[in-house]
Amino acid sequence: MILVVLDHDGNKLRKASLEALTRARKLSEAFGEGVAGVLLAEGQAPVEEARAYVETLYVAELGPYTAEKWAAGILEAAKAGVKAIVAPSSRQSRTYMGRVAYALKAGLLEDTLESWAEGGEVYATRYAYLNRVTQKVKTAPPVVLTVKPNTTPLAEPLGQAGQVVALPIPPVPTVEVLERVQEEKKGVSLTEANVVVTGGRGMGGPEAFKEAEELAALLGGAVGATRAVVDAGWRPYSEQVGQTGKTVQPSLYIALGVSGAVQHLAGMNKSKYIVAVNKDPEAPIFKHADYGIVGDVHQVLPALIQAVKKLKD
Amino acid sequence: MKFVAVIRQVPDGESRLRIQGDRVDLSGATLILDQMDEYGVEEALRLKEKHGGEAIVVGFGPERAEEAIRTALAMGMDRGIHVVYEGYADPVTVAEALAPILREESPTLILTGGQQADWDSQALGGALAEALGMPVVAWTTALELEGETARAKHDLDEGAEWVRVRLPAVFTTQQGLNEPRYPTLPGIMKAKKKEIKKVAFQGASRVEILQESIQEKTRLQKILDGKDPVAAAEELVRLLHEEAKVI
Ligand SMILES: Cc1cc2nc3c(=O)[nH]c(=O)nc-3n(C[C@H](O)[C@H](O)[C@H](O)COP(=O)(O)OP(=O)(O)OC[C@H]3O[C@@H](n4cnc5c(N)ncnc54)[C@H](O)[C@@H]3O)c2cc1C
Ligand SMILES: Nc1ncnc2c1ncn2[C@@H]1O[C@H](COP(=O)(O)O)[C@@H](O)[C@H]1O
Repeated sequence: MILVVLDHDGNKLRKASLEALTRARKLSEAFGEGVAGVLLAEGQAPVEEARAYVETLYVAELGPYTAEKWAAGILEAAKAGVKAIVAPSSRQSRTYMGRVAYALKAGLLEDTLESWAEGGEVYATRYAYLNRVTQKVKTAPPVVLTVKPNTTPLAEPLGQAGQVVALPIPPVPTVEVLERVQEEKKGVSLTEANVVVTGGRGMGGPEAFKEAEELAALLGGAVGATRAVVDAGWRPYSEQVGQTGKTVQPSLYIALGVSGAVQHLAGMNKSKYIVAVNKDPEAPIFKHADYGIVGDVHQVLPALIQAVKKLKD
Repeated sequence: MKFVAVIRQVPDGESRLRIQGDRVDLSGATLILDQMDEYGVEEALRLKEKHGGEAIVVGFGPERAEEAIRTALAMGMDRGIHVVYEGYADPVTVAEALAPILREESPTLILTGGQQADWDSQALGGALAEALGMPVVAWTTALELEGETARAKHDLDEGAEWVRVRLPAVFTTQQGLNEPRYPTLPGIMKAKKKEIKKVAFQGASRVEILQESIQEKTRLQKILDGKDPVAAAEELVRLLHEEAKVI
């Protein structure tokens, strides 16, 4: 069996789950094994939507998320025997899949860009060294594989609803969730935005971000920030782009007053086009930019807003 | 009490990476204690300072990784254990190598980096926790002991949460957990005399790296002079619209 972890928001499968399904089906063809899904939920789960994609769907309601419970649920579903487990890649999945991989003594291929089977083994490509190096890797089954979002075509439904199997879950009472701190959601989500306008320390303070918001809104995009900005309390952590923040890959990334530290580049260096505005012509960000303006962000940003407005008229 | 930080040595992000014969060649790179692991070392030290006991650094990697263990000792860790292994090893294999040592040490808690700056893996914390039958709290930004348990704040895919976790447990670090201290000169002198126990590991990585390449996207690097901000902004918008076709 090829088992695919179907991540969701309570109402709908995440797009990344449909990408994981595509990868799982490809392995299923190569190994001549069926695809089963596992749908774990804190409460509500999109069971009807999910069963349209797999022959067998294992389902369990587990209450508040912990890595232990999610790993236990997946391992329970895998009891029938698996050649591979495929999951969408996210911070949470990369933690509980670490548990799952250890429990199965599996070859773990994390955050893969592509994957395929050849001669009974599984191959993949992935980034390493803070997104600077592409690795080609291989391992033998059982394989645990996570799929980097936005790398793979979305799977289509099978046209026939799969069988739903309720999973018995052994209790793992080790972590008690005390309080959730929700991220405020406004406008386009940073990781899905086609345009990202990021401000760095060069913005000089929180006020200038009003203009970054205006430019982002004009371009249908989202606002990002560097760690220096978040540490200074100018913007919320949820907007941080980089190694310890979010990874984005928009068509257009505009970096305003950002120096271009590797930990920042790790979160945005795969963007299609990168634009930099910085008063220092030697700023490292210019080496990674397609277009740039050497100048003061306080003068260039208002001018950019005007120029975009003019284009739209 | 006993607080363990699991660390690795990685190339400094600022140093240039070269490819030699299909592999990353680190011979010219500056190698450092992984900055994500450094948060774990700092947290172990703070816990020891507050609650007493011992702070131990456990390193995995080739002979040269001893330098990173020394850095942690210079920051103040009491002693080191070095599991010597040359080349790449996947996180399941690293967890297998470390588990017997950690079981023997029987620590109050274990800290390790949220992500490795070389292999970009985020799985070591989860794999270690599974190996030891412990809970794991990933991307921890706050940690305090409360008797037999710990209260911790950690990042989720969206948002964050406070949890109470049974000890012993594994915590992976995240920026915000603390500000790591610098080794002092007396600290560096003392570290030279601190014990580093060497342990050999005979296992082999389950995952094999076949090829590494640097495919930096060639960027157009059309940089305009912003002395006239209005003219520069208009030219930039024109290029984005007509040439890149992204707006
Ligand atoms: C473990 C670890 C993880 C990290 N993770 C992240 C991460 O996820 N994301 C992240 O961003 N950073 C991260 N960092 C921090 C990173 O190393 C840098 O410190 C940070 O990205 C710098 O932010 P900055 O570019 O805004 O500030 P600076 O480096 O201070 O750069 C400011 C830039 O603005 C320019 N400038 C100043 N005034 C003006 C003006 N008026 N007009 C135009 N330009 C101006 C300056 O020339 C300069 O280039 C991490 C660091 C560590 C150790
Ligand atoms: N300590 C290390 N830090 C980062 N990468 C390493 C380290 N040791 C080995 N590697 C990588 O692991 C791969 C396999 O190493 P080797 O088995 O020595 O050829 C190499 O391509 C290196 O990129």
